[in-house]
Amino acid sequence: MTEPAHDQDPLALEAEIPTSLMTVHLGPSHPAMHGTVRMTVTLDGETIVNVDPEIGFLHRGFSKSSENSTWHQVLPYTDRLNYVSPILNNTGYIMGVEKLIGLRPTERAEYLRVLGGEISRICDHLTCVAAIGLELGAFTVFLYAMEARELLWDRIAELCGARVTVSWTRIGGVATDMPPGWEQKLRDCLPRVLELTDEIDTLLTRNRIFVDRTRGIGVIGADEAIDWGFTGPCLRACGVNYDVRKAHPYSVYDRMDFEVPLGSAGDTYDRYILRLLEIRQSHRIVQQCLSQMPPGPIIIDDWRYALPPKKEVFGSIEGVMAHFKLIMEGIQVPAGEVYVYTEGANGELGFHIVSNGTGKPYAIQVRGPGLPILSAMPRLIKGHAVADLIPVFDSINMIGGEVEQ
Amino acid sequence: MTEGPAKKVKIFVDGAEVEADARDNLIEAARRVGVSIPYFCYHPRLSIAGQCRMCLVETSDAPGRLVPGCQVRVKEGLKIVTNSPAVKDNQRGCMEFHLVNHPVDCAICDQSGECKLQDYYMEYDHQPSRIRVAKLNKPKREIFGPLVVYDAERCIMCTRCVRFMDEIAQKPQLAVVQRGTYSLIATFPGQPLDSQYAGNTVDICPVGALLNRDFRFQSRIWFVNKSPSVCTGCSNGCNVYVEGRGNVVYRLLPRRNEEVNQVWMCDQGRLTYHATNERRVQWARTGRGENAASVGPRIALERAAELLRPLAGQGSVGIALSAQCTNEEAAAAFQIGAQLRASRYFLGSQPAGDSDDFLIRADKNPNSRGVRLVAEAFGVKLEDAEAVDGVKALVAMRTDGLPAGKLARMEVFVAIAQNEDAASAEADVNLPCESVYEQDGTLINWYGRLQRTWDSLPAPVGDAAPGWSWAKRLLDGLGGVGPTSAAEAFRTLAAKSPHLEGLTFEALPEDGIVLEALLPKEWPARAPRPLPGAHSIRGPRPPAVKVGDEASGGSR
Repeated sequence: MTEPAHDQDPLALEAEIPTSLMTVHLGPSHPAMHGTVRMTVTLDGETIVNVDPEIGFLHRGFSKSSENSTWHQVLPYTDRLNYVSPILNNTGYIMGVEKLIGLRPTERAEYLRVLGGEISRICDHLTCVAAIGLELGAFTVFLYAMEARELLWDRIAELCGARVTVSWTRIGGVATDMPPGWEQKLRDCLPRVLELTDEIDTLLTRNRIFVDRTRGIGVIGADEAIDWGFTGPCLRACGVNYDVRKAHPYSVYDRMDFEVPLGSAGDTYDRYILRLLEIRQSHRIVQQCLSQMPPGPIIIDDWRYALPPKKEVFGSIEGVMAHFKLIMEGIQVPAGEVYVYTEGANGELGFHIVSNGTGKPYAIQVRGPGLPILSAMPRLIKGHAVADLIPVFDSINMIGGEVEQ
Repeated sequence: MTEGPAKKVKIFVDGAEVEADARDNLIEAARRVGVSIPYFCYHPRLSIAGQCRMCLVETSDAPGRLVPGCQVRVKEGLKIVTNSPAVKDNQRGCMEFHLVNHPVDCAICDQSGECKLQDYYMEYDHQPSRIRVAKLNKPKREIFGPLVVYDAERCIMCTRCVRFMDEIAQKPQLAVVQRGTYSLIATFPGQPLDSQYAGNTVDICPVGALLNRDFRFQSRIWFVNKSPSVCTGCSNGCNVYVEGRGNVVYRLLPRRNEEVNQVWMCDQGRLTYHATNERRVQWARTGRGENAASVGPRIALERAAELLRPLAGQGSVGIALSAQCTNEEAAAAFQIGAQLRASRYFLGSQPAGDSDDFLIRADKNPNSRGVRLVAEAFGVKLEDAEAVDGVKALVAMRTDGLPAGKLARMEVFVAIAQNEDAASAEADVNLPCESVYEQDGTLINWYGRLQRTWDSLPAPVGDAAPGWSWAKRLLDGLGGVGPTSAAEAFRTLAAKSPHLEGLTFEALPEDGIVLEALLPKEWPARAPRPLPGAHSIRGPRPPAVKVGDEASGGSR
């Protein structure tokens, strides 16, 4: 029988302990795994060797459900793609259907969509910043951001009738106009939103702990980001000037005066900073919408596409027949195939829609901005400490609903 | 209708060249290239009325004017335009006028969802009305006859129903009364709409003016599924659609078959589905009268086998079957007979009824020819079920026409019964049988046309199963072999019958096949019959005809 080594050589105690790789499952039901995703993390001590993001826990069969719904019945499903900025999804989808029909919404509806969309974008960015702050221990940031978001979601609830599941746009327009006094309410709460954003800025942007935890972490270069399919703030954080609103202006964005903030480092810090800057740009667009918005109808007056007013539905045979046909059989969309892309809160939101000329879509696929970025998670995090995983994941702001259709 | 060789003429529809039949009007010619000219009053099988003005189009023969597409025939080189601003304007104007007095009834109207007004409004008008006058009030629920109720406010005066009663039913029981906007359809005093074909007026009514009293308010049409089948009301075997949901049939509609029923069916036939919904034997049970107990299929079948086994081969077992059976059920019944070495076979049937020279046959059973053909194939002599006697035990495949009094004296009576009746009440073992509308099978009509039926309802009633399926399970218990599917039952039968040689269940066409050897010598004057060169058992299938599938989708 031989003696243990350390009994003979005291220095053996100082020798490196040979470790084996350890596999840890993070999520899917973990508070920091927003949107129910599972990360299978392979660790060498504290260092991340690999990350395998696994999606599918929030799968709702968006494409298949859409094929069995009329064109308007698809709308509530789009709310649930990116549930933090649903109006942007509503708009993207409806623009696709309108393109198939060859239809333009009323001008006021265009402004309302942009207005609602930019408020949603602010909410989305606030949520991202709130989460990144919270999960790095800055609970105050979270509370400030939530206060700002609640202010805006209250406005959205007043405008659409729901905070999150708004289903607000319609083919040819939107469902509801601004209620009386709403514009002033919005003007009153926007300064507070900016104030809170500034507050967050002062708390985080030059905070030693925050900067150390985010700068130089999760870096990706411009070319590589493009290769991965990055869009939105994550791409612009690498210094690539691509914003669908500027590059391919749609709706009334060409009439808006705003800038596209750019980062340079492509790290977690830049992705955070970009969101703060974009909140301020969105605020500018909201202000311009309010001042430019023309009076007029919020939806086109064509009963082939827009539901007749309720007075006509209950009081005239023409109205009730149009209503019946639109609800029971759906809007008749000409056969064709379109791809429509808009700037979602986290990047390019694309809808590929195929119509076979009936009341229901033949096929719909969504290019959610989150999926390509999420798929780059292993690339972003390899070699970093396990504690860096959460801030990096926060900064790409993956939204489960649009990643898993 | 005499079908001479079709002369072809070349015309142009919206610039597209069409080779049309010289007898075509503009609507049918345009339909050949998929251009639909809207119409309410036109019906391919009725005379032309030119009543609704929806079908006005432009032609090269009358530049600057619109002509009715239903009335104008094609001629060589004619150019017609169906989408010019003038045509579109007329269509929109027509719709606006048709709707002036139309009530706001869609929500309570049975026609909703298969209404030409709704379809055409969305296609050709889709605007609010510019006419500001109070709507006329007219009679809302005039009972026209046993099956038909009339709502004058919804009526657009296309007169399809009047022309149908004159020309097809040949009982002129409807007429237009009053003048102008006050006009409405009415029956004559003291004369209800009691023709046996009255139900067809509901089918061809393009709006919700004429409604089927049997179907009224029973179901919205978008809730029912439509499935092809064959009417079981008489031996004509009219092709129908069964519309049902769950295990309930809501209505039957005629399905187009030129050689059987054209696009019509009779009112008696329309009501045959009630036997599928009502008075059903639901659960497999044993015991008669007070001793009856629902025991489930397995125990009921065990009991049946236990009762029959000692009697097998003693020359004391009889088999009864019904002319309501499908061929597959009949074949399976004879398989049971062979296994038990039955001594006598009985054929029951529904009593004969009225008949006419068009679609109604006196034999009120859908498959008398078929059951006899199957008996012949199995080499079995059939006796009348009234005379059921001289056996200790009886196995009945359906109980039609079995005398209950004689069954009561039977030692053992096993019934595969669809409906509760005096006969099924006497059964020691009762096995619930699916109706013809619920099962895959074949029937042979009065002139020898072999036609498919389909399982039209997704859910069975209770334990109900096709008769051949019960026979198979019973045969399992008796140590025999039975069919595992309707196709297999048909295969067994086709192998035995020279009439069915070479036919397979799967390859039977949807509109049936004529078994030539069975064709009768004499035909009722107006009864539809196989067209020359149409598909017989060996002949080729005729090309699908597209024109005039009027009755098979409500009013279309």
